Amino acid sequence: MEIITTKNLSKEYPTKNFSKEKILALNNFSFEVQSGEIFGLLGPNGAGKTTLIKILLGITFPTAGEIKIFDKDISNESYKKKVGYLPESHKFPNYLTGEQVLYFFGMLSGMNKTDVKKKSDEYLKLVDMEKWRKTKIKKYSKGMLQRLGLAQSMLNNPELIFLDEPTDGVDPIGRKEIRDILNNLKNEGKTIFLNSHLLSEVELICDRVAILNKGVLVKSGRVDDITAISDNYIFTISEADEKVIHSLLGNFKATISSKNEFYFNTGSIEELNKLIDFLRQNNILIHGILREKNTLENMFINLIENQN
Amino acid sequence: MIFLTLMFSTFREAIAKKIFVGFFAISTLIILVFLFLINVDSIEGMVNMMESSGEEGVKQLVIGFEVAMINISYLLIITFCFISVSSFIPSMLEKGNIDLLLSKPVSRTKIILAKFSGGVFLIFLSLLYLIGFVWLILSSKSGFWHVPFLYSIFWLTLSFAIIYSLIIFIGLISQSSILSIIISLFLVFIVCPVLFFREETIFSLVSNGAAQFVINFFYYVLPKPTDINQITTDMITGSPVKSYMPVYSSVIFMLAALSASILYFKKKDY
Repeated sequence: MEIITTKNLSKEYPTKNFSKEKILALNNFSFEVQSGEIFGLLGPNGAGKTTLIKILLGITFPTAGEIKIFDKDISNESYKKKVGYLPESHKFPNYLTGEQVLYFFGMLSGMNKTDVKKKSDEYLKLVDMEKWRKTKIKKYSKGMLQRLGLAQSMLNNPELIFLDEPTDGVDPIGRKEIRDILNNLKNEGKTIFLNSHLLSEVELICDRVAILNKGVLVKSGRVDDITAISDNYIFTISEADEKVIHSLLGNFKATISSKNEFYFNTGSIEELNKLIDFLRQNNILIHGILREKNTLENMFINLIENQN
Repeated sequence: MIFLTLMFSTFREAIAKKIFVGFFAISTLIILVFLFLINVDSIEGMVNMMESSGEEGVKQLVIGFEVAMINISYLLIITFCFISVSSFIPSMLEKGNIDLLLSKPVSRTKIILAKFSGGVFLIFLSLLYLIGFVWLILSSKSGFWHVPFLYSIFWLTLSFAIIYSLIIFIGLISQSSILSIIISLFLVFIVCPVLFFREETIFSLVSNGAAQFVINFFYYVLPKPTDINQITTDMITGSPVKSYMPVYSSVIFMLAALSASILYFKKKDY
């Protein structure tokens, strides 16, 4: 079941106040997020990721296009009762304590006092902020604020959670804990919409991703499909003479990168073995064969570089 | 409940920014000065003299004190209030704060109305403390319990609410507390008094009919806190109120400023 659906979503901003010149932050963006999945939105700075989240949350208005969340138009605020949000560089009122922040935003989410208290206890414990609950947040570190922000986003027991750079400022152990929390939320059937620059993290927890560049959807799909093992093999060999190299290039789909290294692209294991036989017959020593791994990061960088 | 939460967040902000403390410190100082004044020998002597001239003399003295009090409140307290509340909207609009607020199931209209009500209620409580105490001191000292003085709490709060609606509008558009303070103080302490006394001041210099029409136009369109202050003084002194037009037109201005704020806020991207 689709939780979020957008059709031909576009957003134009004037370059300056009252200017007629416009910047296209989103251009005919259509996508869906399925119920119960962790969806990652990727893109370089200024790609339109935060604009998209803000449009989905009614913070910014689209210039054109359709949006449905929980199968309903978002003009009615009521859908936000089932939504949690952790903005990038959020700013809680710094005169409040951690507990008061949760109370304030919990009440604004339409919860009653008893539920807010109960859930605050539960989530402060979950994000390991229990002992700081009565401390004013102006004394919190960035990582602590991020943990509190995460607790705030989960407080109203939302079905859909938007997280904009949730691990920003969090140490590696904290990041692991946040990943675990997100996986637990997924197991509880929650849908998570994640916007992160940390592609290795996205790769670890997201089911599907969409890559956005200059407001345009460049690629989307399952992380497993996008990062599928490539057919590229890296051969490290002893030095070969030019005649052999010439013959290698003539008979196989190989690319020489140096005297001792070449790339070979094939989807066939027979082809690979034929190449090994060829090298052995020509008395070339094979020092190593490495199957290139296509990480999300590699794929992302290649895709964006090609686009630009 | 959401509305009350938002409204009381204004209180919490006022407490955190020491606005409450500042207000109560100033008010308490004024109350203490008042207490001191009515106990000094010369004033005691004046009271005794007025007492000897009968009940009317005491009443006149009390009313005189009350009018002085209203003018102090108008000048000092309202100025302090404008400065204090002018940061409420710009701080709400800060990046990272407004995003979170708008992601909650609260309409933008409700947010503006709650901020407005919170600020007005805050000032109402503060004026209740100041004027209520002064009234108690004056009444217990003189034995003349002059209730119309208490009405000034309402009139001063109304004057504040009218200008606060403008502060909200400027705050939303400019996101600047300083600009809100400058414009509101300029309006209240320069434009409005000049327009209030336009016949005695401007019209004696400008005889051109068209220019006088433009000045009159501004007088009727802009809020009239000086006129409302005059109405309050008239009520306290028992003088007949010439016209309630300044109240009606100022309330219309307030409603227009609030509506414009809501419309702007509802369409604005954050």
